Amino acid sequence: MSWTYLCDAAEVAPNSLKLVDANDIRIVVANYGSGFRAIPPICPHMEEPLEESGVIANCVLTCTKHLWAWNLISLDMLGETEKPLKTYEVKEEDGKLLAYITEELTYDFEEEDDMDDDFFSKS
Amino acid sequence: MTSLARAENLAAEPLAHEHCAVSVETKSGVFGFDCAPGETLLYAGLRHGLTLPHECATGTCGTCRARVMTGEVDVAWEEAPGAARLKRDKGDILLCQTRALGDCVLRVPAEVAEKPARHQIPAYRTGLMENIRRLTSDVISFEVALSTPMEFDAGQFVVVEAPGLQGARAYSMVNFTRSAERIELVVKRKPSGGFGDWLFGPGAEGAEVKVFGPLGRATFHADENKNLLMIAGGSGIAGMMSILASAAESDHFRTRKGYVFFGVRTLADGFYLEEFARRVAEANGNLEVTLALSHEEPSREDHPDHPGVKLAGGMVHEVASRAMAGRYDDLMAYVAGPPPMVDGALRTLITQGGLSPSAIRYDKFG
Repeated sequence: MSWTYLCDAAEVAPNSLKLVDANDIRIVVANYGSGFRAIPPICPHMEEPLEESGVIANCVLTCTKHLWAWNLISLDMLGETEKPLKTYEVKEEDGKLLAYITEELTYDFEEEDDMDDDFFSKS
Repeated sequence: MTSLARAENLAAEPLAHEHCAVSVETKSGVFGFDCAPGETLLYAGLRHGLTLPHECATGTCGTCRARVMTGEVDVAWEEAPGAARLKRDKGDILLCQTRALGDCVLRVPAEVAEKPARHQIPAYRTGLMENIRRLTSDVISFEVALSTPMEFDAGQFVVVEAPGLQGARAYSMVNFTRSAERIELVVKRKPSGGFGDWLFGPGAEGAEVKVFGPLGRATFHADENKNLLMIAGGSGIAGMMSILASAAESDHFRTRKGYVFFGVRTLADGFYLEEFARRVAEANGNLEVTLALSHEEPSREDHPDHPGVKLAGGMVHEVASRAMAGRYDDLMAYVAGPPPMVDGALRTLITQGGLSPSAIRYDKFG
């Protein structure tokens, strides 16, 4: 895959999120005022649909379910947030938002296992 | 705040007759604790002073997820909402809904410490139900005279198990006092609310209940020296009353502001109004209390019988949003109530108030 059309930039108001379908890959477009992010459609915490549970203020995306939050400029995790936000590279051309998609980004809730040996201190 | 988790059989006869030795592997090392017969793994770990991850302690939130590595356990409530995402085939459980049937080894995917820095270590107590009274048509207040005094922070809750009733229910303390010998709790009666029905039945007054706590992190600490914003719906006001009592004790409103928004359906559904009026009068003009009526447009701006309590029409988070614009400086926000109200309030606090998650405290029951 390559640069894929998401939506027109004008369709995503500042400080809002929009769920789009990019060649059958669901992506949430976040407008944080001074830029855009393209992210998987769910919160990496408990799979909340971010287009509903997410709010953006002061360039910070917060999932209102349990207040996990990320700075959308630096992608820093804020507060008690434990997992980073995954992002697609995104650009704006002639008012259109495009994301560079090689494969669907997921948080692998099923495969990833935070209870595996690697995560644990047994001493 | 009230959680109506219906965890089954938490108060049932113990399955294991001996104390079980539980070892828990965490990201910060291995800890051991004893689990008494019939006791849930969460409560056993918490009363040993371990900071095991948890929020609701009653099966709804899923925060106390763990994996059983070795040993046999019994899951009390298979259908707990918080268990929906568990990998059961790998042995994952909710600590608050599971009891040990023998010695076992668990994994908890979190950093765990042995003694909480700030909060009281929870413990079991028994208590006698006293002074059960109706505050409105569907709100009931009661007191529990505790077997031993309990220290707690304003805003915390306990889990109560009543005789003959399945499950454990979480209720925030309304009162605030050091070494409390009595705690005051409040329940909003629901159409099929087993505990509310029991409270109004013949056997409740004087009955012995089991109390575990204190729990919860939506707490007030005077030394943080913040302005206070409280948005609550229905019985969610309970913890706010405790915070107001604690704030009054430390003379918090001598220098700091307080804003309370209390959502009910109609004027007749309001309660604790005398106490609100008294708190407002004592606060040197620094405390505002607004009763938000969701199903009635008030005909005046203050309460006819309780001057000092303001009235406004609308959903409580919308009322708060209108009143708080431009007044979010240096404050700590507390939120409690039905999930849609909590969600609306959080959105308001983040988008309008520009508050960061660290300035918002609520107990995550969903």
